[in-house]
Amino acid sequence: MSDLLTVEGLSVRFSGLTALEDVSFELGRGEVRAVIGPNGAGKSTLFNAISGYVTPTSGTVHLNGEPLTVLTPHAIAERGIRRTFQNGGLFPALTVLENVLTGLHAQTEGTFFDILFGRRKALDAEAANIARARDLLKLMSMEHMADTPAGDLSGGQQRIVEIVRTVASDPPVLLLDEPAVGLSPLARDQMMDIIRRLAGEKGVGILLIEHAVELVMAAADKILVMAAGKRIAQGTPAEIRQDRAVLEAYLGHA
Amino acid sequence: MQMPTARQRRLRTILFWAVPTILLLVPLGTNAYTQFIVNGMLISTLVTLGFTIVIGNLGQLAFANTAFFGIGAYGSAILAAKLGVPWLLTIPIAGVFGAAGGFLASAAALRGIRSYYLAIITLAFGELMRWTYLHARPLTGGTDGLPMPRETLFGVSLTDDTVKFYVFLVVTVLLVKATSNLLASRFGRAVMAVRENEVATASLAIPTSRVILVTFIWSGFVVGCAGALFARHIGHVFPESFGMLHLIASFAMVLVGGLGSVLGAILGAVMLTALPEYLRAFPGMEELFFGLIVAAVLVALPMGLASLLRRISPIFVERFYREAR
Repeated sequence: MSDLLTVEGLSVRFSGLTALEDVSFELGRGEVRAVIGPNGAGKSTLFNAISGYVTPTSGTVHLNGEPLTVLTPHAIAERGIRRTFQNGGLFPALTVLENVLTGLHAQTEGTFFDILFGRRKALDAEAANIARARDLLKLMSMEHMADTPAGDLSGGQQRIVEIVRTVASDPPVLLLDEPAVGLSPLARDQMMDIIRRLAGEKGVGILLIEHAVELVMAAADKILVMAAGKRIAQGTPAEIRQDRAVLEAYLGHA
Repeated sequence: MQMPTARQRRLRTILFWAVPTILLLVPLGTNAYTQFIVNGMLISTLVTLGFTIVIGNLGQLAFANTAFFGIGAYGSAILAAKLGVPWLLTIPIAGVFGAAGGFLASAAALRGIRSYYLAIITLAFGELMRWTYLHARPLTGGTDGLPMPRETLFGVSLTDDTVKFYVFLVVTVLLVKATSNLLASRFGRAVMAVRENEVATASLAIPTSRVILVTFIWSGFVVGCAGALFARHIGHVFPESFGMLHLIASFAMVLVGGLGSVLGAILGAVMLTALPEYLRAFPGMEELFFGLIVAAVLVALPMGLASLLRRISPIFVERFYREAR
């Protein structure tokens, strides 16, 4: 199987309401796939089902051929699928640096007792993480904000820090839930540039929910169009632009 | 908040070990009465410390702290009085009993009982334990309580207040150091991450349930050890020692010191243990003055006495300590 992430027949029903119905797609290494659709189309439910926050009623999710469907959110994150949150997932009281450090938590050496007894091993691991987190912030030109509480950043800066935190552990798959919402046009362009670089340079497979259509058309390799919980179209930006079903369901009856 | 420099951090380490070293001299300047009060401060420090990490750092409204304390005290008393376990061993075992209490309290939180509901169920847990001490008469002695034996181990008997002071001091320093190691590590950061945003914490491959569980267990361990010290301190365990009054007093110590702060736990415990002694000069007005002073501190310093020290010098900024937003 050459695909990184395989989603097959994924459905989610909440007491009679079908939020997601039989959605299938694949995501490859270094691919940016956008998920678009009107409000209530099931985009966030799709993200929640993949990342373990919602248990699918049926269907499967595989990462590199390994099934993930029954795992808890932290176990799925540990396997290498990391996500951001639509309403921002930063820890406002923690500094920018500490937020990024939480992204490195799971792959840090040292047991609970190493920490309790203040053993060298745990202290060295922490120092190494701090150095790595600072480097990551430098790459995004955010190092001057390292000791600022995340809650004091602007909306755009918060989105960037959240992405830095999410990619800190070098995950093979990234789910970004509206990373550009509320950003200035300039910050949006930067965000899309960051996303393209993550895919192009690091080979991260990125699944992206975004409302700004022109942005999606420019940044995505493939687009998955959803409406009322179903996949109504899938293809390259050029194909989607001409798809009748999409024009009707999503771009409006204009 | 200004962060301490490397030099200030070194100074803080020196200070951390200098304070207990200087405290070794305390018995030279105390009489029997003041020594007893000072011993109580050490116990209250541990009680407050265990409490503050759950309600301050983890941000869970769990009020089972006095239950952990009573479990530790009764557990160690039963071990010593009924089974003849030497006093040194009863302290860590009482910690393990307290940790078991912490495990029970976390079970409620992990089943999704949170906020006010967690508050009421943990309060009920505390009252249930008190009811148990009253009614499990063959084991606990009921209302008469359990007298502690005056046994000797390696020629040391926990009967003299000066001897108790040294034992309590060692236990307190070890547990304060271990707790501050914990809070200043990635674990402590994860604890605060859970407080700030549990859903996002899980998305970072941090096992949030385990973080909650371990925090409660460590809290129970610290407070359970304090319970064992308390049994020796009073020389007798009574059910009344583990009621609402104790819980409210510990809660006040947490807030006066500063929610979630190790330094605050020490300051709050010391101040609120000493204060009633000074207020004895005003018979009939003690409670009134006590309440007014606590209220005044909280109005002037909503984040407690520790925040005052942090303002004076960055030496007192605790690594990764953050006030909730």
